[in-house]
Amino acid sequence: MVLALFPVAPTLAQEAGKEVAYRAFPLLGSKLAVWVIAQIHLNFAAFILGVPVFSVIIEIVGWRTKDPKYDWLAHEFVKLIISAFSITALLGGLLLFILVGFYPKLWSYMSGIFFPTFWMYGILFFLETFTVYLWYYGWEWLSGPKKWIHVSLGVLSNLFGTAILFVANAWVTFMVSPKGIDEAGNLQSLWQAIDNPTWMPINVHRLLANVVFGGIIAAAYAAYRFLSATTEEERARYDWMGYMGNFVAISAFLVLPFAGYYLGREIYAFNQTMGITMMGGFLSWLWIIQAILIGILFICSNYYLWLGMERIPGSERYRRYIPYLLMVLAFGFMVWATPRSMVVTLAESRAMGGTYHPILGFLGVMSAKNTAVNILILTTFLSFLLYRRANRLSTKSWAGTGMTVQWATFGIAASIVIFFGVYGYFVDSIVRIGFSVYQVLAVLGTIVLVMAIDIPMFRGAKSTGTIRWGKIAPRSQYVLILLAVTFTWLMGLMGFARAAIRQYWHIFGVMQDTSPEAGAPALGYAANVISGVTIVFWLLVMFIFWLASLGDRGKARAHEHAAPVVAGGVGDPE
Amino acid sequence: MRLPVVVRISVLGLAAMGVYTYYANSIPQIQLKPPQQLSLESGKVTNEQLVKAGEGIFHGKGTCEVCHRIGQPGSRAPDLAGVGARAAKRKTGLSGKAYIMEALLDPGAYVVEGFPNIMPKADKPPIGLNRSEVWAITAFLESLGGTVDVTLDDIPKTAGSGGAGGGSAQVVELKLPGDAQAGQAVFMGKGGCFACHKVGPAGTGTVGPDLSQIAKIQTPEYIMGKVLDPAAMGTVAGFPPHVMPQTFGQTLTAKEYVDLVSFLLTLKGGSAAPTTQGKK
Repeated sequence: MVLALFPVAPTLAQEAGKEVAYRAFPLLGSKLAVWVIAQIHLNFAAFILGVPVFSVIIEIVGWRTKDPKYDWLAHEFVKLIISAFSITALLGGLLLFILVGFYPKLWSYMSGIFFPTFWMYGILFFLETFTVYLWYYGWEWLSGPKKWIHVSLGVLSNLFGTAILFVANAWVTFMVSPKGIDEAGNLQSLWQAIDNPTWMPINVHRLLANVVFGGIIAAAYAAYRFLSATTEEERARYDWMGYMGNFVAISAFLVLPFAGYYLGREIYAFNQTMGITMMGGFLSWLWIIQAILIGILFICSNYYLWLGMERIPGSERYRRYIPYLLMVLAFGFMVWATPRSMVVTLAESRAMGGTYHPILGFLGVMSAKNTAVNILILTTFLSFLLYRRANRLSTKSWAGTGMTVQWATFGIAASIVIFFGVYGYFVDSIVRIGFSVYQVLAVLGTIVLVMAIDIPMFRGAKSTGTIRWGKIAPRSQYVLILLAVTFTWLMGLMGFARAAIRQYWHIFGVMQDTSPEAGAPALGYAANVISGVTIVFWLLVMFIFWLASLGDRGKARAHEHAAPVVAGGVGDPE
Repeated sequence: MRLPVVVRISVLGLAAMGVYTYYANSIPQIQLKPPQQLSLESGKVTNEQLVKAGEGIFHGKGTCEVCHRIGQPGSRAPDLAGVGARAAKRKTGLSGKAYIMEALLDPGAYVVEGFPNIMPKADKPPIGLNRSEVWAITAFLESLGGTVDVTLDDIPKTAGSGGAGGGSAQVVELKLPGDAQAGQAVFMGKGGCFACHKVGPAGTGTVGPDLSQIAKIQTPEYIMGKVLDPAAMGTVAGFPPHVMPQTFGQTLTAKEYVDLVSFLLTLKGGSAAPTTQGKK
């Protein structure tokens, strides 16, 4: 990419001193160059900002319970992001050069609005890097009585990381939903430009998505180490690490659709046309692809839990439920992936007798889709609950009542979700949108209440046998890899969606893209780019994994964070 | 032979991506391109052509169809069937065309009962219809059950003043290094533009649109593109397509091209003769 720039150097030199809006990136074109670099940068940024969120929580668990395996795990997770830090910064610098060089007019306008935040970003990035490095390299130095200082560094690095995310999100979301400027585009209020309509929804969405992404990449690393392991001990250790990474990812993933609805609602509130174009216009097929990917993620996550139950003695009593869970998941998946307001050909439209299918079209509306996703979430949570109690028998006298309340809660939540799903067909869209809130509250309430009962109910429970870590079927590790690749691809797709809803605007309604590349490409082309980006990203990640594994060779025994033995020694699957 | 772990997981990853990519390539492929600007300010357009142009805007650039249907009730916005007849009765003292224009340019001024106040101003970004386009769509809406009587003079001069791009971030004056006076010479000489286009008292041609106000009604990007690749920029309604030569990119030198565009950017109506004040 850099070499391709040399032939245009004389042209660029001739342009010096002139005001230009665009320059053409050789071979690739400027749009593709920015797209590729921005997406790879975003993937790495999500990884390095997501991993510390759960690593510090795991470290705190290890610190308070004095269980060294959690401390080892937190250290192992943070180790992965250390090598990724420099590559993230490098890609960020490259993105900046491309924007300044190939979109000078856009850059000039954006810097006119956000210049004060550039300083803030630079300072925060320095503080974040400094803190994370100190957190990682000071792991042994700040152990024992100084552990609280070490944990504080972890918390601090997360505060800085979140602040960085929020600052960068202000730039990106301003381009989608500009605010704080007058009709002529002049800045009126920097704070309003930052706090634009999609800023907070994107902050929430990305924060959660980063945790999902960080967790699943860490799980993929563990899967790779599991499959490459030469000893039972190593296999057990990385089986546990993979489980923990996946647990983190799925926990955050369950909440992600709600954050997505919040974002969607704010987009509609900002500009109805943008919202409708996004969901029913030229991007309508994109949501079908998204539904398929998310369906794969739900089914794979559940499958991983079911495979994991095979290494838990006592789980046999729950296996008979798996076919039913699978049926519910499959049905929910099919409903979610059913299209309605689609761009169709004339022939297709004639064949269906309209723009949507006369019967299946009813499953394509938001009422059905909201219901499907909430049922998918409830089912996945149920799978986790069965996994969690697979080798445990409660000894509490109130266990029977507790379980009855739990099942009743599930039943009531499912009823509420289905009731509002069906009732949604009979009310106006304005009323229907409000129903999704009740559905979400029912599901979130169930998760909170069921866990609030489950934790005390199984405290001190009788064990039916210890988990045989490392004895999971190897195909489970390929499931983790598939989850990681699918999440990465999905991130690329959502990145495309966010950019494409601006249509032919750099800054929606303020600065039109007047370059020859203006507009949004078709989904097929976007998919080709997303796959290319995903391949490059994973090649770089594999290189980082390789670097991380190099560090272990010959050092593990000397290191204070030598891996703990977990095979069969972990009674609590949490 | 057992394949190395890296190979196995790579094959799995590539296969998954291959499936996703194949699926995305097998569904309808729709590209989104910026809409073309419509210019009708020459006035040489019949009502039928005007209505047809307006219908195109309704389905395309205007994005009206996103919320409005014709002959089909909707929950977001009123059904527009018969609006041409209905418009005159909506607000006391407002004629049908005046009501339609108000609905386009200041939609919040009167909201039909039972519908939310969500319609954006049609002449402001992001829709950003220009004056010609507001004229055309008004004619189209009048034609839905009524009589088309709107003229260009009925459309406020300020309509579409936000331009295609909107705020100053977009409509910053283009500072071309060209010489507008030299550009006028190209227009009248080597370019031969005057043979088809009229510019104030200069030029007599009526084969192409009158360019006397072109800088006022079109963006610099449109003008530059139109000289180099006229077919790609569309044909002004009321004029025959594919008449303007596609060869100016080859026949004009870079300086002549920049001079010509600089000259065209000075044409804002007002004064009778082209001026050279636009030399930047």
